[in-house]
Amino acid sequence: MNEAMAGAIWLGLGVYLGAGLLAGLGVILFGLKRLAPEAGRIPWRVRLVILPGLAALWPVVLARLAGVRPAEDRP
Amino acid sequence: MAAGYSIVGWNGFKRVYDGMLALGLSLFVLAHFGAGLLSAPAGQHPSEIQLLIRATGAAAFSLLTIILCIGPLARLSPRVLPVLYNRRHLGVACFFTALVHAGLVVLWYHGFSEMNAIISLLTSNPRYASFGGFPFESLGVLALLILFVMAATSHDFWNHVLGPRLWKWIHMSVYAAYGLLVAHVMLGAVQGETGLAQAALAGGSALLVTGLHVVAGRLEWARDRTTDLPPEGEDWLDAGPAEAIPNGRAVILVPPAGERIAVFREGAKIYAVANACRHQGGPLGEGRILDGCIVCPWHGFQYRPEDGCSPPPFTEKIPTYRTRVTGGRVFVEPVPQPPGTPMAPSMAGEAG
Repeated sequence: MNEAMAGAIWLGLGVYLGAGLLAGLGVILFGLKRLAPEAGRIPWRVRLVILPGLAALWPVVLARLAGVRPAEDRP
Repeated sequence: MAAGYSIVGWNGFKRVYDGMLALGLSLFVLAHFGAGLLSAPAGQHPSEIQLLIRATGAAAFSLLTIILCIGPLARLSPRVLPVLYNRRHLGVACFFTALVHAGLVVLWYHGFSEMNAIISLLTSNPRYASFGGFPFESLGVLALLILFVMAATSHDFWNHVLGPRLWKWIHMSVYAAYGLLVAHVMLGAVQGETGLAQAALAGGSALLVTGLHVVAGRLEWARDRTTDLPPEGEDWLDAGPAEAIPNGRAVILVPPAGERIAVFREGAKIYAVANACRHQGGPLGEGRILDGCIVCPWHGFQYRPEDGCSPPPFTEKIPTYRTRVTGGRVFVEPVPQPPGTPMAPSMAGEAG
């Protein structure tokens, strides 16, 4: 692996996680009620624990917010 | 369960479990550090940072080996179930230990470079086309990323949002991480970065994990092969005599198609529900009925046997099945009803 390729991987990972962090912040501020309506009030410390996962899996979470349900919940 | 979320649903058992985990991990790192210090030839002492890098790496690898052994061991002996109960804390501890190891490596070997430390890590050994010379550090980075995703999604919130199937799929990637780490340790030894003894231990650990999975897998496979077929002229499966089902316990049926079915007896009442827990697929039929609820042996999730619903305020649901008792024998229609469908129990008059 040369320096350019390693730089591209590092940049790609940074952009993905950075976008995920922004999306995750949006979700923990405004989207958790839609993701887990039955959960009641989610404490802030739990929201912070969830944030790294949101940064990593934000495309799936955004799909859930857009109405795509887990496989086992589909009719 | 999904009624409310806290960081950890603490109880006495989890406190003891985590206390022992912290103690064990600390003692392991200290012992490894001390052994490294004492065993080095005079005048060739590695630095304290290098010893700590090796100790945390060995601790993370050993912890992951233990984590992977717990699953098959719990299939072989129910006495291991208490260790399985809080396994995710082991996983999170493993990730943080590996993160300390990786952080020290980056700081010590690449932190003083003018180049970005991660780019330096990925390019310091360019022999990606070589087998024996392959940069083992990259394998460690990949494994660490997998462990990060697993630790970051270990909270029950993620099981709920992703759905058990996707959640399980993501967490099965632990095997890929383990394979990468075995290669990481072995290549490290080939390239003189770690000792041969560590490589031998890594190989032995991989064999142990593989062996346990093969043994447990063979048992499950044998069980699945002995499908429960309906008696001739019957569409329903025969679960045997009602009195043969221990009170508060279940027998597990393997239908020709679909998921396993857990057939419970509570006094004279017979119920049938899906065997897989909605949480992490734990075998409900190996649990018991306590206070009117089926309790999963893995993490204590509860379901009412009459409708497959978790008691309020929880919201999990599993499929139920029709049952009947004829001539003292229990029969189950192998057609799952939608999760949460109420199903009146059959009465086994003679069972008590």
